[in-house]
Amino acid sequence: MAEAGDAAEMREKLARAAQLLLFRHHMEPGAKVWELKRALGRDYERVLEVLDGELERLGLTIKRVGEGEEPSDSDRYFVTLRGNPKLADVRTFGWRIDDMAMLTVALAQILVKGGKVPLKEVERVLEEKFPRWRVESTIDRFIRRGYLSEDEEGMLYIGWRTRAEIDQKKLLTILLGKETEGERATG
Amino acid sequence: MMAEGRKELLMRIIDLCESVRKKGLDPFDVEVREFFDRLRELLPKLRREEEFYLDIQAVLGLADVVYQQGEWVKHRSSALYLDPLLIMLKVHALPPRELAEVLARSWHPIVDIECLTPGGIDEAAEYWKNLPPMDERLREPETAEVLTGELARKELAKMGVLSEEDFVALLDKSWRELREYAGERGEVSYWSFISDRSFERTVLRAWIVSFLVSYGYATMEIKPLEEEIILRPMPKPERPEQVTTFSVPISISRDEWLRRVKGG
Repeated sequence: MAEAGDAAEMREKLARAAQLLLFRHHMEPGAKVWELKRALGRDYERVLEVLDGELERLGLTIKRVGEGEEPSDSDRYFVTLRGNPKLADVRTFGWRIDDMAMLTVALAQILVKGGKVPLKEVERVLEEKFPRWRVESTIDRFIRRGYLSEDEEGMLYIGWRTRAEIDQKKLLTILLGKETEGERATG
Repeated sequence: MMAEGRKELLMRIIDLCESVRKKGLDPFDVEVREFFDRLRELLPKLRREEEFYLDIQAVLGLADVVYQQGEWVKHRSSALYLDPLLIMLKVHALPPRELAEVLARSWHPIVDIECLTPGGIDEAAEYWKNLPPMDERLREPETAEVLTGELARKELAKMGVLSEEDFVALLDKSWRELREYAGERGEVSYWSFISDRSFERTVLRAWIVSFLVSYGYATMEIKPLEEEIILRPMPKPERPEQVTTFSVPISISRDEWLRRVKGG
């Protein structure tokens, strides 16, 4: 009887965790550690572990993203795709190829410069490939959506959404491994 | 050292430290130890309050540089450190499609569902309660109708809204932007060129395009069947003499702009 009761309690907690993580209830998606603790109890990490197993079957996973290096109750959990979308699929999410290219360039610059770079420098590099009016509006949009963040001194940083969605090490490694036209010709 | 010389040295140190923080200069380019030695020599000679204040600012600046050096070492020893030069070479050399593919292959988008919250329902109920009845909303405003008119560029210049120099520079900048945007194809859709982040900016761009076409910086072709308008920038501004020119009114409403922005 006790085992059946435990299983029922776990199913209830799984449903509650899925609701908290999947349904947007703030400006930002996901749920904070303190919210999960309050809703699921002290063993919230165990509940999330079981839920992650269930989500795996749907090609999804649960990810924890923190503001600083130390774990805190303000850290946020998100549900993300376990794998990567195909380029053709991404276009159906409403992304343009040019926008994706611009985000890659901006992130690569920030990451290789140790986590911050002047906005003007990013714009200068992007304007070599894209028109200025397009660069300005796209960077604004990336900041609004949380992919990038900007301080009052005009420095650009990695935003919360990039930390949640993008495998930064992989981005740089793939970029480094890409063959340019010149390399293909000499290759 | 005279007071002015001391002040100049302190200001130089503060400025250098700020450059490291604000412009991302290499923190190891700053000779921190040497500057601290200079500050130590300077300290007994400081007299005025302003000099002491600058001295504190310089010490704080150098401390910040040491912090930046620590961060730099941490970054270099992290798994994320790859040769910046090589990365930037790739960024410059790869076409947009390849760069987009880099993002797609390292991307795990967040999955979330938007839903109505109790707070949202309260807000909607409040809005509904305060919404005036339909007949009140549709009532004609008691104002005299003023027909729309035209305002020539010279009139704007007279009013001080736009100077001749500003206008020429704006025209030239937009022409270069149009050429860049048209690229090798040499043409671009009118709507994709004028569309901008706000309706006001879109109207401004449409207004500039009208001058680009009138003054021979670009040509415009209207394809009525495809419902498409094509802009072609000229290599240099010239008024085509063999072509019959005519005025084309293009209506830009906020609804039309919204529809096109949402439609991508």
